[in-house]
Amino acid sequence: MNYNIIGKRIPKIDAGDRVSGKSVFGYDIELPGMLHGAILRTKYPSAIIKSIDISKAKKLAGVECVITADNVDTENLNFRKDHPVLKKGEVNCIRDEIAAVAAVSKEIAEKALELIEVTYVERTGIFDPLEALKKDAPQINKFSKGDNGNKNISEAFHYEHGDLAEEKKKSACIITRQYVLPKVTPTCLSPSSITANYSTVDDELTLYSSTQVPFLYQREISQVLKMDPSKIRVIQPIIGGGFGTKLDIHPFEPICALLSIKTGKPVQILFSRKEEFIHSAIRQSMVIDLTTGADKNGKFTFREVKIIKDNGAYTSWGVKTSFVIMQTFSSLYQVPACVYDADAVYTNNVFAGSIRGFGNPQATFALERNIDLMAEELGMDRAEIRLINANFPGEISGQGLEYHSCGHKPALEAVIKHSGYFTRNKKNNQGRYKRGIGLASMLHVGGGAKIYPSDGCGTTLKLDTYGYLTIITGSSEIGQGSETVLAMMAAEELGIDLKKIKVINTDTNVKPWDVGVHASRTSFVAGNSVLGALKKLKEKLSDKAAQLLNTSLEDLVFENGTIRSEKTGNSFKIDKIVRELHFKPPHELCEVSYYYEPSSEFQDKNFKGNVSSCYAFAAQAVEVEVDTLTGKVDVLHVYVGQDVGKVLNPLGLEGQIEGGVVMGLGYALSEEMIFENGYLRNFSFHDYKVPTARDIPEIHFYPIETHEKTGPYGAKGMAEAPLVPTAAAIANAVSNILGVEINSLPITPENVLKAISNKQSDQG
Amino acid sequence: MDFRTISPQTTEELLEAIKQNQGKHFRFGAGYTDLIPELEMQMENGLIVINLAKLKDSNFTSIFLSEDGIRIGALTTMTDVLSNKHLQKFPVLIEAVESFASVQIRSVATVGGNLCTASPAGDVSCALVALGAVSEILIANGQIRTVPLTEFFTGVKTTVLKKNELLRSVLIPHQKSAERILSGFIKIGNRNSMEIALASLAYHITTDKNGIITSAGTAVGSVAETIRYTESACEFLLGKNMDQLSEEDKETFADNVLKYANPISDIRASAWYRHQVLWNISKSIL
Ligand SMILES: Cc1cc2nc3c(=O)[nH]c(=O)nc-3n(C[C@H](O)[C@H](O)[C@H](O)COP(=O)(O)OP(=O)(O)OC[C@H]3O[C@@H](n4cnc5c(N)ncnc54)[C@H](O)[C@@H]3O)c2cc1C
Repeated sequence: MNYNIIGKRIPKIDAGDRVSGKSVFGYDIELPGMLHGAILRTKYPSAIIKSIDISKAKKLAGVECVITADNVDTENLNFRKDHPVLKKGEVNCIRDEIAAVAAVSKEIAEKALELIEVTYVERTGIFDPLEALKKDAPQINKFSKGDNGNKNISEAFHYEHGDLAEEKKKSACIITRQYVLPKVTPTCLSPSSITANYSTVDDELTLYSSTQVPFLYQREISQVLKMDPSKIRVIQPIIGGGFGTKLDIHPFEPICALLSIKTGKPVQILFSRKEEFIHSAIRQSMVIDLTTGADKNGKFTFREVKIIKDNGAYTSWGVKTSFVIMQTFSSLYQVPACVYDADAVYTNNVFAGSIRGFGNPQATFALERNIDLMAEELGMDRAEIRLINANFPGEISGQGLEYHSCGHKPALEAVIKHSGYFTRNKKNNQGRYKRGIGLASMLHVGGGAKIYPSDGCGTTLKLDTYGYLTIITGSSEIGQGSETVLAMMAAEELGIDLKKIKVINTDTNVKPWDVGVHASRTSFVAGNSVLGALKKLKEKLSDKAAQLLNTSLEDLVFENGTIRSEKTGNSFKIDKIVRELHFKPPHELCEVSYYYEPSSEFQDKNFKGNVSSCYAFAAQAVEVEVDTLTGKVDVLHVYVGQDVGKVLNPLGLEGQIEGGVVMGLGYALSEEMIFENGYLRNFSFHDYKVPTARDIPEIHFYPIETHEKTGPYGAKGMAEAPLVPTAAAIANAVSNILGVEINSLPITPENVLKAISNKQSDQG
Repeated sequence: MDFRTISPQTTEELLEAIKQNQGKHFRFGAGYTDLIPELEMQMENGLIVINLAKLKDSNFTSIFLSEDGIRIGALTTMTDVLSNKHLQKFPVLIEAVESFASVQIRSVATVGGNLCTASPAGDVSCALVALGAVSEILIANGQIRTVPLTEFFTGVKTTVLKKNELLRSVLIPHQKSAERILSGFIKIGNRNSMEIALASLAYHITTDKNGIITSAGTAVGSVAETIRYTESACEFLLGKNMDQLSEEDKETFADNVLKYANPISDIRASAWYRHQVLWNISKSIL
């Protein structure tokens, strides 16, 4: 199939605004009469609050409102409704909000915080999930129902398929290891912000929020504030990075709304970089105990998994990462049996969120390390063992995932070939610097994920009498480039210039419903939705055009802003046809709406079912060089093979691939939030080490096109995938080169040197 | 952040500003890449900043060759050092600057600021110590006193500078003519730029035509309270033939470097790692 726009390198339609400083971010919003909010947070990660005295703060000139749990009426927040907006009686993690102030300036608001007197009785916190599981441990979250076998387990997941005992018998090799994964943060370039504007005239609350899920947000805020959802209007300014941090509501958001409701004035809360480090959502830490087996030919037999996740003090959507983790263990590579348990355990640490990859980088790290170890024990090549177990088209996994298209093997083959895995990996490696290549694969949802009552997205199209199209989509843009892809689809279908297409996607009062931007779903779900709407629009235009051109519908071609009859060569400009419809009988607007719901299913209570319309597969080969004197790992090349179904916009796709790999690189080598007794110790870019330009390897990308039948033009979701296998492949490379086992992250020079030194002392 | 600034343009105005404010609390500001982050962490009440950035005195602002050596003005930036032709013969210095922060920071951060901030992790300072450079200090009465950089640092964030003094320049004395130079800067960190050294080693070693080591300067950073000149390691090398150093010699050299290291464990690295890596790289340079 030949396309005019799809598959072409199209710069993002919002790129000009971004680079010229025209984009309006949350930080740029300023409303008349706006107040500034500030939040008093706890001094201790675990304490009883004896008293809170706000009298001095209230008296400070310029202070308009001070709130505590005592003078607001709210429901609890988040996934398990276990999170009070403002804390009363006790605090349980270092983020805990005790009071908030609205004042005429930021400085006065902060000054007022200093005047609030809180008496605490400090308690010994519990920062290790294993401690929290002990019988005599206190109940950390008093809203926990304790319905998962332990008062401190927030959520427990159990899954199984196949006959574990039987498969164990068949196994020629069984590997058991423990993997320890750290907490990391995505360091969104734009720190969190919110501006709330409550109107006392009509009781409407407008929130300028950088949420990734505006409609879920609207609903949850309404529950928390006990308001009618439709009285809440969510406007999304340009979002400077989401990565999953904006899936959950955080207390500062309803707090800001409360300050605005109380004062009747707009109120703004902006996070500093330090606050962003401490108080925004993070990738969960977890300990994964994994046992895997393979028969003598290297065919995988079973997996047995036990995971303890640090839930922190409250339960966010992050608890649902257990879903995605389960998928990797049950269904990445063919595996006849799997038993999986994951417990999210309350602690006095900051509560975990869900970051790009949604648990998958952790799961993939553990699984891919075990695969290398099995290959080693069986005396098999590490590429070979992966190829013979790779997923294949037509496979239905033990969990019920249906792979109608599957590029797993081609992705592996591409990176094995292009990295020179078989030739370069065999080089002699005697000196100070040692090189080698590591491999890893990944599986992720590629067609949405049905975990909410609907996984759909609505679109409204409006073609005006000048031939310009407005796409009003329910989906959100958080920098991933989906706006551009949606506009490209419309340009392709209607044969009009991309410049004549506008995308509106920032206002819940205007846009139709969508579940939100997550699960790599936007191009797929919103794309299918736009295509469905375009089909309706084209039908409308075609009927009129056929009449005007005196021809049949099949004879019509949309191109160059016209609709042409193939037979006669006669054509009409599209805007002319719109005017014919509008200004003459039947006097109709050229507007249509469409709602797309993916064909996926809900999983049953045993977590079985085809939760996504399709699945993305990827493999990475990473060439690294280790300096054995310093322990420093330099990543030289990353080869990415990824089943994207169909390349829609190569430029946007490469951007996502490169960004993902870099994120994976940071996770692998240098990023870690260092907590000591519940306090974060590294809350600046100085001490929290994201990769810099000089750390970035060459990234080689080989898209695999499998033409997914359910996808827009055959495309699948792709944006989380590139980050998922990177750390695993790097750890495999380093482990193999040095003959050590890297089973935790990050792989800092110190950790590598320690591994080398431990190996030497074992041998000597 | 709220402070008053005074921006002298001539040395006279500068000295006047120092004299006028002896009773008050003032700080100097050059490139501000240390001062502003420091004040952001803890603002000092009633602070006056004497801004050196507008000063027109070439003793402060330029790099020039003189009879006694190469003089680097305190206000020269890292970028100035990188592009100066006289300084290319000191790879230790050039490599230290190349490892320093990022292009943006290098274009404003000054050599004087790096020395006066007296961080044990100061990269350029470490290189200058290895080169045997001498600080040239301007006193409010207009006089100059000199202190070798090996004696310049008195502790974490403290120097020999008194309240009525500031650093004008540093002098790298002329070196004996050398047949061969072994010179470089090794900075240990988790990433390749924007890094505070976990440990660093600066070395500048020369030999005659027979390979005999005629001068040796090595210094270490981030492993003690201050940057330290590793004197006994240098002495150990003098007179030895560079091409005939045994494995044992190299290890003795590394052991000597380590005598000056008393590293701490912090969130960046453990004392064990700093120790181990410093020994490894010290041995590796020979
Ligand atoms: C992002 C970032 C990265 C960095 N990376 C590195 C790095 O890789 N390596 C490294 O070594 N440093 C690094 N630094 C620290 C800093 O950039 C350097 O120490 C720099 O050389 C300081 O110079 P400045 O001109 O900015 O000093 P300023 O901030 O202006 O001053 C620093 C201190 O010296 C005093 N002072 C300045 N000039 C004089 C003078 N002539 N006489 C007396 N006192 C004076 C000031 O009062 C102040 O106390 C980094 C800083 C930042 C912000």
